[in-house]
Amino acid sequence: MIRAGLTTAAFLLLGGCATSSLVLLPDDEGHQGSVAVLEVAGQPAGAIIASGNSRTALGDKTPMTKPLGAKGLKKQEAALLTGLPPPARSFRLYFEQGTVTLTPQSVSVLNALKAEIAVRSGPEVEVIGHTDTIGSGESNDNLSMRRAEQVLSWLVSQGLDRSIMSAVGRGERELTQPTADNVASAANRRVEVIVR
Amino acid sequence: MGRQALLRKSVFLIFLTALMMAPASAQIARIKHSAGNAAIERGSNRLPAVPGRQLFAGDRLVTGKDGRISLSFIDNTRFAIGPNSSVSVSEFQYDRTRQRGSFLTKVDRGSLAVVSGKIAKSGPDAMKVRTPNTLLGVRGTKFIIDVPK
Repeated sequence: MIRAGLTTAAFLLLGGCATSSLVLLPDDEGHQGSVAVLEVAGQPAGAIIASGNSRTALGDKTPMTKPLGAKGLKKQEAALLTGLPPPARSFRLYFEQGTVTLTPQSVSVLNALKAEIAVRSGPEVEVIGHTDTIGSGESNDNLSMRRAEQVLSWLVSQGLDRSIMSAVGRGERELTQPTADNVASAANRRVEVIVR
Repeated sequence: MGRQALLRKSVFLIFLTALMMAPASAQIARIKHSAGNAAIERGSNRLPAVPGRQLFAGDRLVTGKDGRISLSFIDNTRFAIGPNSSVSVSEFQYDRTRQRGSFLTKVDRGSLAVVSGKIAKSGPDAMKVRTPNTLLGVRGTKFIIDVPK
């Protein structure tokens, strides 16, 4: 018992007075995830920290977690959260059957997309083309890529830097509306654009 | 077209397809904002952490007493790094198609706010954070790590 106490005291002394800490918060949608303590000082551990709006001093195998309470976050912690980049936003553009022609409703989405890219600092744009299941898998790989490139070319024509963008075609592999083969689906004929 | 020419053309097309299928495959994140003294250490190089700059696995992000860096990863993970910090992305692998991967970040000193992304969702301990005395497994959440000097 005394030995355990001494070991703890020695550990605290070695660790100095400043201890690493973890503040756990709910995500922006209000869900609460958790963090597992897998190792402490090279030794396996197994504690799970799961209470939101809590503070935990790290360095102990069974760490003490306390609610943030009325004091809330420290000033520098609040500043850090304010500095987080905005979440990624995604846009969907739909196409006419078997073509790289946007549906009339999707033309207006292009402008919203362009505006979103314009307000971001250091933006990155990922363009992913898809098709429905009409036609062969191979021809749909090709069509999905051409759809993605169509959107990418439009963004380039609007003065956006090609090097911040990437385009891929996933063919008929990722249907948003599951169908049998050779079924026309307006929902599946799409390009998804992720703006970060 | 002769057989040689056809072969050359096929090889070129395969190469082109590979380029299109895996655009900038090594890029893992981009700097979104930075302030004060803020740098990326890549091997023996030290680059200013300016908005838009791409990051690669193995990069270390370093800030001075007035420094700040924020960045977004290709799996949608987001970081904000506070002053007097040293944070390395030791390991980052992400399969965009299957939306799975592994991610290890080391916080040697300073502060880091994280909103986890798709890698953390892809497995119980697919995303890990190491501090000088602790290894953490991240299970889909938002958190702040502080490692005082």
